[in-house]
Amino acid sequence: MSIEAVNITKRFGQFTALDNVSLEIPSGELVALLGPSGSGKTTLLRIIAGLEFPDIGTVRFDGRDISDRSAQERRVGFVFQHYALFRHMTVFENIAFGLQVRPREFRPSRNQIRTKVHNLLKLIQLENLADRYPSQLSGGQRQRVALARALAVEPSVLLLDEPFGALDAKVRMELRRWLRQLHDEIHITSVFVTHDQEEALEVADRVVVMNEGRIEQVGSPDDVYNRPASAFVYNFLGNVNLFHGRVEEDKTYIHEVETGHVVYVRPHLLDIARLPNGGSHFRARIKHINAAGPLVKVEAIAEWGDPVRVELPQERFRSLQLMKNEEVFIIPKDVQVFPVRNEAARAK
Amino acid sequence: MASITLPNPGVLAASRAVQATTEQPWVRWSLIAIAVAFLGVFLFLPLAIVFSSALERGVSVYVGALREPDAMAAIKLTLIAAGISVPLNMIFGITAAWAIGKFDFLGKSLLITLIDLPFSVSPVVSGLIYVLIFGLQGLLGPWLAAHDLKIIFAVPGIVLATMFVTFPFVARELIPLVEAQGTEEEEAALTLGASGWQTFWRVTLPNVKWGLLYGVILCNARAMGEFGAVSVVSGHIRGRTNTMPLHIEILYNEYQFAPAFAVASLLALLALATLLAKTVVEWKARQQSTELQRMSGEAL
Amino acid sequence: MRLQLKQKSILPGFGLALGFTVLYLSLLVLIPLSATFLKASSLSGQQFWHIVSSHRAVASYKLSFGASGIAATINLFFGLIVAWVLVRYNFPGKRLFDSLVDLPFALPTAVAGIALTTIYAPNGWMGRFLAPLGIQTAYSRLGVVIALTFTGLPFVVRTVQPVLEDLDKEVEEAAASLGADRWQTIIKVLLPAVLPAALTGFSMAFARAVGEYGSVVFISGNMPLKTEITPLLIITKLEQYDYAGATAIAVVMLVASFALLLTINLLQAWSGGRLKRAHANELPETAEFEAAR
Repeated sequence: MSIEAVNITKRFGQFTALDNVSLEIPSGELVALLGPSGSGKTTLLRIIAGLEFPDIGTVRFDGRDISDRSAQERRVGFVFQHYALFRHMTVFENIAFGLQVRPREFRPSRNQIRTKVHNLLKLIQLENLADRYPSQLSGGQRQRVALARALAVEPSVLLLDEPFGALDAKVRMELRRWLRQLHDEIHITSVFVTHDQEEALEVADRVVVMNEGRIEQVGSPDDVYNRPASAFVYNFLGNVNLFHGRVEEDKTYIHEVETGHVVYVRPHLLDIARLPNGGSHFRARIKHINAAGPLVKVEAIAEWGDPVRVELPQERFRSLQLMKNEEVFIIPKDVQVFPVRNEAARAK
Repeated sequence: MASITLPNPGVLAASRAVQATTEQPWVRWSLIAIAVAFLGVFLFLPLAIVFSSALERGVSVYVGALREPDAMAAIKLTLIAAGISVPLNMIFGITAAWAIGKFDFLGKSLLITLIDLPFSVSPVVSGLIYVLIFGLQGLLGPWLAAHDLKIIFAVPGIVLATMFVTFPFVARELIPLVEAQGTEEEEAALTLGASGWQTFWRVTLPNVKWGLLYGVILCNARAMGEFGAVSVVSGHIRGRTNTMPLHIEILYNEYQFAPAFAVASLLALLALATLLAKTVVEWKARQQSTELQRMSGEAL
Repeated sequence: MRLQLKQKSILPGFGLALGFTVLYLSLLVLIPLSATFLKASSLSGQQFWHIVSSHRAVASYKLSFGASGIAATINLFFGLIVAWVLVRYNFPGKRLFDSLVDLPFALPTAVAGIALTTIYAPNGWMGRFLAPLGIQTAYSRLGVVIALTFTGLPFVVRTVQPVLEDLDKEVEEAAASLGADRWQTIIKVLLPAVLPAALTGFSMAFARAVGEYGSVVFISGNMPLKTEITPLLIITKLEQYDYAGATAIAVVMLVASFALLLTINLLQAWSGGRLKRAHANELPETAEFEAAR
C-alpha cells in the first residue's frame, strides 16, 4: 500500500514539530526517516499511524484520505521504540492479541490463531519461547516479538519507531540485516525512524532526511550520501571538515574569514602529500595520528589555524611515513560548496 | 622494596569507610531494643489486650456476644455499608485514575489535591456536613421530611458518611501507578485494532491489578471500621442504625467489656487480614516493578 | 490563541472519565463541604467569634493541637529510629514488625480506643505500674497523647523508610573517606537527606491527630475544659441540637485541616523535587540525546 502525507503541519504548544511536510512513499518500499532528535521524524511516523493527528494536512493510503480514521481502523503495524509489549502476557498472548480483540465475526478460530502465531514465532526464530513473559527476554528478542505482534494483524503498512535504538551495537547490526531480509520476503510497505545514518543507508531503499520539522532531501542511499541537496544533509551523513570559502567563476578558494560560502570536505576525501601537486592544496602541520582501525585518522592544523581531520587508507599512510609535527600539504579530492545560510550555523 | 611498606591510602580509606558506615554493636542493639519496645508497647499490647479481654470470660461468652441479635444487626449493617461504598469508590478510583493518569489537562494537580481532601477532614466533621444537608435542621431537611425520606439517623446517612471517609483510597493507590505505566502499551493495543474498552480491560487494568486490590482492601478496612463520621449520622438506634464500631462503644460504655472486646476482636482480625494482604500485595508489586526496572534498564 | 485545556491524545474516554470523576467528587465531597461554610455564614461575625473563642472551645483547641503536637513529636523521634532499624539492621521478627507498623491505619479507631483505655486504666497492664508512681494515664491529658501517638505512628516511619532505602550507601562511604566520623556522617549527611520526608510524616501525623476522635474519646475521660478534644466538642454541641455552634467549630477545624493539607503538599513538593533532581542527573543518555550532538 502506498502512503502519502500532504502538507502536514503539527505544533506542540510553541514548538513546531512538522512544518508543511509532504512525502510520498510508493507501495512495497522500505523507507528510512532520518534526522536528529527534534527533527519531527517520529511525529511524522505517529501521524501516519494515527497515534497523533496533524493540525493541518492529510494522510492518504493508496490514494484514499484516511485522515479521520483512528489508529484502530488504519490497520498499520506499529513497532514502538521500547517495544511496548504487554508485560502481563506471554510471548504467545502478545502476538495473538491483535487477532483476539477482533469482533467475533472477523475473529479467526482458536486453532487458526495458534497456527498463525506459531508461524510468526518461526519467522522470528523464537518458537521455543512462546510461554515466556517479556521480562524474561533479551532486548533483541523483545524487538522481534514486537515485530511479530505487529505483523500478526496483517497490516497494510509497517511502521517502526527507532526499531534498533535500544539495542547494543552487535545485536543492532544483526537485527537490521534481518529486517532487510524480512522485507525482501514479505514486501510490505515499511517506514522506520532512525537517527543513525549508517542504519538508514544500509537498510533502506530510500532515505528521507529531516531537520527541524522539514524534509531536507528524499533519495536513494547513494543519492543522499554522494549528492547531498543541502549542507545539512552533507553534514549529517558523515564526518566533515568545514572551511570558509569564496567562489569566483568556477573556482573555489578556501579562506580564513567568512566570505559567503562554506566548503565541506569529508576527511576521507582529503589526501596528504609532502609536495604540492600543482592542483588545489593547502599547508598544514600534523598534530595527532591515530592508526587504529581500517582508516588512519590524522589531525592537523591548517595554515590559517583551524583544525583539519584527514582519513587515509593504511597503505597510503604507511607509504607516506608521516610523523607528528611534520609540515605537509593537504589535497582535497572532492569538495561540496554551499552558500552560507543559517544552515551553516545550524550544521555546527 | 620501600614502596610496599608504605601504608596504602586506598586501603586505609576503605577500612575506615566500612567502620564509618556501620555502628558499634552496642549502638545497633540499643536502637533495635528502643524500636522494638516502642512498637511492642504501642502495637502489640493493644492487639494482645483485644483478644485476651475478648476471651477473658470464656468461649461461650465470646460466641454469645457475637450471636446476640443486636450484634448480628450491627455486623449486617457494617457489611451493607462497606458493600455499597467500597464498589462505588472503586469505580470512582478507576475512572479518576484513567482521567488523571493517562491524560494531561489544566487543573490536574488541583483535582488530585481535592480528591485527597477527605483524608484531612476530621471524621466528626465528615459526618457533620451530611447532618447539615440532610438533617432536620439541614438545607434539604424540610423537603426530605415532607417526602417522608430519612437519611440522617438511618442507613443512607451511614453509607454516605462511609463513602466520604473512604473516598480517596482506591484513587490514591491507582493514580500514581497508572501514571507511571505511560501510554505506550495502550497505543500498541489500539494500533493492533483493540477498541477503547478492550484496551482498558485487557491492558490497563491487568497492569495495575495489585495496586487496585490493595486500594480496595484498605478502603474496605476503613469502611468497616469507621467510627467518628458514622457516629454523628447514625443516631445510635440499637439493632437498627448501629454498625460494629458503634455497637462496641455502647457495650463498652455499659461496662460489658468481654462482649465489647468480642466484637472488637472481629474488627482486629479484619485489620490483621488487611495487613497480611498488604504485605502480599506489596511483595507482588515489588516483583512486578523489579521486572519493569529490568526491562527498562535493558532498554535504555 | 486557543486555550488548550488538554493535550490531544488518541486514548478514548477522557471526557467521560473526567466528567464522572468531577461529578462524583462534587456530589460527595465538594458540595457537602461548602454547605458547611454556607451554614456558618448564617451566623453573624460576632456570633461566630463568640462561639469559636469561648472558653471551652479554646481549651479544646489547646488540648487538640497541643496533644497532637506532642504525639507527632514522639512519633518523629521514634519513627526515625524505627525506620532506621527496619532499613539498616537485621533482627529476628523484623518482617513482622515491619508489617505491624501499619496497624493503626487498619485497626478501627474504636477498637484502638477501648484497647488503649483498658491497658492504661489504673488496673490495666500498663496502668498498674504507672499508677503507683503517681502517673495517671487513662482519663487524663496524657491518655490523649498516648492515643494520638498510636494513631500517628505509621506516618513518619512510612515516609522516611523509602528515602532511607533509596539512599546510596556510597554517599556515606564518601563522607567517611573524606574523614567524617560516624556521628558527623549521620548529622551532616543522613539527617539532611531524610529531613523533608520526616517533616512530611510529622505534619501528616499531626494533621491526622488533630481530627482524631474514635481512639481518644474512650481514654480521655471527656471532661470539659480539661480533657475535651475539639471533635468531641462538636459532637457534644450536636447532641444538644446546637447546630450553629457545631458548624462554627467545624469551620475552624476545616480551615486548620486545609492549612495543614497545604503545608503537607508543599513539604512533599520539596522532598519530591529534591529526589527528582538527584535522579535526573543519573538518567542515562538516550539514543535521541546522542543524536543531538
